[in-house]
Amino acid sequence: MMNAIAVRAQAAEAPNTREKMVIHDLSFYYGDNKALKNIDLTMHERQVSALIGPSGCGKSTLLRILNRIYGLYPNQRAEGEVWLDGENILRPEQDLNLLRAKVGMVFQKPTPFPMSIYENIAFGIRLYEKLSRAEMDERVERALSKAALWDEAKDRLNASALGLSGGQQQRLCIARTIAVKPEVILLDEPTSALDPISTAKVEDLIDELKQDFTITIVTHNMQQAARVADRTAFLYLGSLVEEGPTSQMFSNPKDRRTLDYITGRFG
Amino acid sequence: MDRYSRRLARNKMWLSLSIGAAAFGLFWLAAILSTLVWNGLAGLSLSVFTEMTPPPGSAGGLLNPIVGSLILTTLAVVIGTPIGILAGTYMAEYGRYDRITYIIRFINDILLSAPSIIIGLFIYEILVVPMGHFSGFAGSIALGVIVIPVVVRTTEDMLLLVPNQMREAAAAIGAPQWFVISRVTYRAARTGIITGVLLAIARISGETAPLLFTALNNQFWSVNLNAPMPSLPVVIFQFALSPYEDWQRLAWTGALIITAAVLTLSILARALASKGVEQ
Amino acid sequence: MAALTLGAVEYVGRSKALKRFIATDSFFRYLTRAAAILVLGVLLGVFVSLAIGAWPAFHAFGLDFLTSQSWNPVTEKFGALAPIYGTIVTSLIAMLIAVPVGVGIAIFLTELCPYLLRRPIAIAIELLAGIPSIIYGIWGLFVLAPFLQQHVQPGLIEFFSGVPGFNQFFAGPPYGIGIFTAGLILAIMVIPFISSIARDVFETTPAVLKESAYAVGCTTWEVIWSVVLPYTRAGVLGGVMLGLGRALGETMAVTFVIGNAHKIAASILAPGTTISATIANEFTEAVGDLYTSSLIALGFILFVITFIVLAIARYMLSRLDRRAGVA
Repeated sequence: MMNAIAVRAQAAEAPNTREKMVIHDLSFYYGDNKALKNIDLTMHERQVSALIGPSGCGKSTLLRILNRIYGLYPNQRAEGEVWLDGENILRPEQDLNLLRAKVGMVFQKPTPFPMSIYENIAFGIRLYEKLSRAEMDERVERALSKAALWDEAKDRLNASALGLSGGQQQRLCIARTIAVKPEVILLDEPTSALDPISTAKVEDLIDELKQDFTITIVTHNMQQAARVADRTAFLYLGSLVEEGPTSQMFSNPKDRRTLDYITGRFG
Repeated sequence: MDRYSRRLARNKMWLSLSIGAAAFGLFWLAAILSTLVWNGLAGLSLSVFTEMTPPPGSAGGLLNPIVGSLILTTLAVVIGTPIGILAGTYMAEYGRYDRITYIIRFINDILLSAPSIIIGLFIYEILVVPMGHFSGFAGSIALGVIVIPVVVRTTEDMLLLVPNQMREAAAAIGAPQWFVISRVTYRAARTGIITGVLLAIARISGETAPLLFTALNNQFWSVNLNAPMPSLPVVIFQFALSPYEDWQRLAWTGALIITAAVLTLSILARALASKGVEQ
Repeated sequence: MAALTLGAVEYVGRSKALKRFIATDSFFRYLTRAAAILVLGVLLGVFVSLAIGAWPAFHAFGLDFLTSQSWNPVTEKFGALAPIYGTIVTSLIAMLIAVPVGVGIAIFLTELCPYLLRRPIAIAIELLAGIPSIIYGIWGLFVLAPFLQQHVQPGLIEFFSGVPGFNQFFAGPPYGIGIFTAGLILAIMVIPFISSIARDVFETTPAVLKESAYAVGCTTWEVIWSVVLPYTRAGVLGGVMLGLGRALGETMAVTFVIGNAHKIAASILAPGTTISATIANEFTEAVGDLYTSSLIALGFILFVITFIVLAIARYMLSRLDRRAGVA
């Protein structure tokens, strides 16, 4: 455990990690209410960045800007810039479907589609690629294996996904997300609805996934952030208070508010 | 103590009245169903389903009105259901936050409870008059107009019940809206929408008024949509009001057949709905 | 493990698929919108076509159409007063009976009924709503009317003959059919509507509200009267209006038992007519444009009346939704 943190600390400091997503002067409004205030934040490639903070601080709001899922609803708008590989994804011409294929999201509540396990995975792939049965089988297996669900699912691929347990359903959602080959994965409190054993499995998964994907995770569980994240950002009342390597944030935070939150003086 | 016992007495009285109300309602149900079954069964025989409507004074059956009703109902459902589902989809998905959806919902609810005889007059004006004659086609359009608001309402309600998170999960993979709707949302709401269609069928199966001046009636066998078409409700109307006993008997039997069909559909819809909830 | 990230070829394939998506998405958006607008179109169409059809009659008779009782196809003098009167009175009788009974049933089902019986009885009451109206019609004609004629109406006539002021309302030979019978049949038809809406609405009362009343020592009836009914007032009224709309427009059940007399009599035991019964009985035999137009004019009047009643019902029910947080 100590070794893992040390390794992570090193990785977080490594100077040659590429910037994957750069958030610049980002503000967000629900109607007239300014929920996010001029955020500047960078997510590095193949690292896990955590967003922590008390309820209502805006961490989920921020996450939902990164794949513009807020656009499904009226009266919500974002101002500022979010650069993904050199393109500002907030610009109006940005194609949303392409963006979301590149930036995947796993939600707090596991939401399997009302179809078989196989179909759940194939759903996203079919959107963009025409594959033969054999190729699709292979992609489905790969996604399920990578999500550590293959052994449990391989004998009932055609059964309804609704028959899986909560933890399995969440891993299915993760498998579904990685099946479409994104580059970034957003996790919105992915384990808050799960029991501790499933939580541990998902956290192990995150550790593996970061070898291939850039991951941003929102969590209200600070210990989780300490366990999985390379870098952590602390938000409070819509503003970014502090950001840095996880080990440093938790042992030696620079801001008074960060210290108070971490030590449980409020939250 | 006196005040208290008065309160208790009043409580008892009102609650007994409400039990009485329930008994009152159930009594009429029993009265109607029992006479219906009694009189309807009396005239029920195989010939009802194999012979055509007779002239007064002779024996016969209800074959042509039964077939006519089946044709009219099927056509009405085929016409009305797609329109209803599409409209409900707009109101719950594409147009959920539009101003006009609010107006359409309001108008739809009024159409839902509008007197069906008005619909009959409407179709008379726009179809029968220009065409110059009554027709089964006009009758099925009139029934279709009654189907539409029912299907719109249930489709919209069922689609709105699908949690937004499911839509978000599908959109988050990069699926465009119609994909989300057709592959995910419809599938999730499928049972409810089918229930709505079944309820619509049950509703139009018993409708008489809209057919009175659109499809009219036909003594003989006719499957020609361009001519007056016989239907079970209208035949019952004609036969029951006549002074002929054998016609009246057939009317009761026809009434039993319609009621059995309608109640079966309602029970089916209810069973389907509760199964869907379990999932 | 093979590539988990996109290659260049796959990316181009995606862009192509995307263009297809945008086109299909627009298509479905327009298609569903058109279907939704069609619903509006139907209502507009009904209004306009009825207005056009009714115009000759309104033009010929003017406002007299609404106040005249005459209905003479030979001299071509038509007046809507008798049908309008019949429509309103039968619906009124129906509501006077159906509202207390319907609300009573709802109270029974939500507060008193043992849990095991709740679903069967609720289903049974809803079956009443499912029975087609023509069944009510023939049952009314062949069963209820003779029963009333032989056993109930003579008693009523005798009872009220000594009561000054009321005796004219319950006078006349016992026909069996007539306004009262029609009102009774309508009541039975409307009861399940009111009871099911009232029940739904009663169940939205927050449990905490009822529990606080019980905790203070209220009897069941007092809880219903002082907490549940006031809380659900708008919804119950909405349900009542909906039932009224149904009663006003009901055709087949009424046609069989109303007696089809274009007259206004003081006694509710006398035959009469309603708008929908008149149209149903006479439309296919109407000869002459003015006759047909007068019938359509009746339909127009009925449409306007029910539209207003249903709009009020809708408004009241939506107020309850908003309050419960549904919007």
